[in-house]
Amino acid sequence: MEIALLSLSSCLGCQMVFLSLEEYLYELIGENKVVYAPFLMDRREWDHADLALVEGTVRNTEHFLRAREVREKADRVVALGTCASFGGVQGLADLYPESRLLRSRFGDTAFEGGPQGVKRLLPLDSFIRVDAYLPGCPPPVALMERFLRAAVAGDRLSREGSTVCAECGVTSPPLPQPGPRRLTDGAGEPGKCLLESGFVCLGPLTRDGCGALCPTEMGVPCRGCRGPAGRVLERAGVDMEAETVRRLSRATGKKEGEIRAEVADPPRTYYLFCLAEPLLRRRRSGGTSHYIHRLGEQ
Amino acid sequence: MAELVIRPLTRIYGNAALRVESEEGATPRARFSAFGYRGFELMARGAHVDNLVPMVSRICGPDSLFHQAAACMAAEEALGVQVPPAARTLRELALWAQLFERHAVSLAVHSLPDLLFPASDPGLRNLVSIYRVDEEVVRRLLSLKSLVGGRQVHGFNFRPGGAVRDLRPESRESLAERLRSGEALLLETARLVKLLLRRSEERVRTAGSIDGSYMAMRHPRGMEIGEGEPALLVTGEEGGEPRPVVDLGSRLREEPSAHGHVVYASLEGAGELLVGPLARLNVNGSYGTPRADEELAEVKETWGFPVRYPMVAHALRMLEMIHAWEKMLALLSGPAEGPLGGGLSVGAGKARAYLEAPEGALVYGLELGEDGMVRDLSIISPLQFNLRSLERSLAEAYAATVREGVEKTADVLQMVVRAYAPCVPCGVH
Repeated sequence: MEIALLSLSSCLGCQMVFLSLEEYLYELIGENKVVYAPFLMDRREWDHADLALVEGTVRNTEHFLRAREVREKADRVVALGTCASFGGVQGLADLYPESRLLRSRFGDTAFEGGPQGVKRLLPLDSFIRVDAYLPGCPPPVALMERFLRAAVAGDRLSREGSTVCAECGVTSPPLPQPGPRRLTDGAGEPGKCLLESGFVCLGPLTRDGCGALCPTEMGVPCRGCRGPAGRVLERAGVDMEAETVRRLSRATGKKEGEIRAEVADPPRTYYLFCLAEPLLRRRRSGGTSHYIHRLGEQ
Repeated sequence: MAELVIRPLTRIYGNAALRVESEEGATPRARFSAFGYRGFELMARGAHVDNLVPMVSRICGPDSLFHQAAACMAAEEALGVQVPPAARTLRELALWAQLFERHAVSLAVHSLPDLLFPASDPGLRNLVSIYRVDEEVVRRLLSLKSLVGGRQVHGFNFRPGGAVRDLRPESRESLAERLRSGEALLLETARLVKLLLRRSEERVRTAGSIDGSYMAMRHPRGMEIGEGEPALLVTGEEGGEPRPVVDLGSRLREEPSAHGHVVYASLEGAGELLVGPLARLNVNGSYGTPRADEELAEVKETWGFPVRYPMVAHALRMLEMIHAWEKMLALLSGPAEGPLGGGLSVGAGKARAYLEAPEGALVYGLELGEDGMVRDLSIISPLQFNLRSLERSLAEAYAATVREGVEKTADVLQMVVRAYAPCVPCGVH
């Protein structure tokens, strides 16, 4: 099988995971042909790939042309990582017009021959057709291996698809708990559910596959880096902010309005990895549409 | 006018291009360009300080923990918070591990194929092609990266005020065991890199040199990541002693470039700057750990001191890996108990944090409002400081190589770029 691996606007975290595949990496490069991977090799031209793994977002015309080239040359295109799948943290740029973003950094500098910025920051499938997704910021190594084994065999990774909570090995504390809380207020009690302990934790709304390492092992509330779970994307009534506020209200015994008032910075708190996801921002109520209204979009 | 364009540059961190223009009798002009500014500084404005750390972690995968640490340090300074020793130890351990891993990738994936097979087709100088003819070489090179394996790319245990959770005793022991098992490989590879550089001595001496100032954190113990004070060593200056950087914050300058989104950064009065492995060695004189300093002696003897050749950075990265290895083992053998930090009282404050990231100075300027929200954030990354030096080295290397033909010149120019190991994602943050 011919494989291409490339990045658009990205942090390269997904490619670092690719290099962490250890034994499977050797199997992959030994049994298949890597036709294009600028991070790893010098080749600049390629004609065809059976499978292209694309990391990052489209920020400018150069990225767009590269994405289109990939679509033309590859039989199957994979959106690798949460940026390609849902916009990722870089999707927060969609809170601002591109021109303001550039002006804030470069003033009135005129660039020689640079690409034009795109007007909206969107996931990869808003620009080209995508055949499969492997979200994660970055995707966990074991999950990437399972995904690639399936992809190389011509399959899709078959996963039931649940939420981070399904993988989280914690128990419930007695309610009510103080909150809403953040890590800056101090760490939670080890082994106890962080959401029910009053922390803003997106575990119930985030897709599984990471093993819930952050909440279970590190005591860190889920930030949603694997992207919204299937039910969040599929059901119009499920919203990251509304659902979390409802759960925090139950955990703390406070009214939802009080929770909303006390959680500052909702866009980066509830939509840190998915603000650019069109399925969420098309919603009439809740979702990111509330923030998109500020940009004048209905 | 002759023009050489390399687009994209390969085996580097991120997407970038190089253009060199030259006219008869004039000094060539090299332009390293990368577009795709992501706007993290603007995106962070209005963020709660608790959201800042996971955000900036996504500026760069290979350097993610350094961004987290710099954001935490700036917030702690702004809020007047002391980090408990146990949390400092955990942070330091994580940062040495990431520096080790970052250098391992720079060497194994990007640079060593050039040094191992300088006469072969550049298209075959990569791990994938080498694996087809010699599996063992690739396994040995990549196993260096795996010595600190198991760490998440954006692993998250830092928070303003301290750390969240300690390593489990069994995790400490297994990491220490893994590190100890890599000792022979690490030392053998260091000697191999030094040998390969000596074998390419003429190329190393003609592929650019540094003719400005070196800036790095200086500490009486030797190379440190977050402790000490920023110091400057000016090349060619009488006496040649590093001196503290006075008024760092007010002397930092940024100047947009017309050929890309990486903004030039400089320090007023310091001339052309270099940060990173060469600067750290030249400012500190030694690493401060026995194995690293033992291996350093030969480098100084071969290449002189201060070291002026960017390509020698390959050997220095290897020595920094040995130093990081020694530091990690020492940290893992020490006591780990103690509080990791409590809750923070958020409020207004303004501060600057300076950290030695793998390729040099990473500077965060942070202003918080009364409500703990970010009012302003400025980030200066190592590539910004090094951009002028990189472009000058490229121009020098072009002038020294152009007679060898376009292909050879392009090959050498890419080697010079890899010697700087520039991080484009950090540069276009």
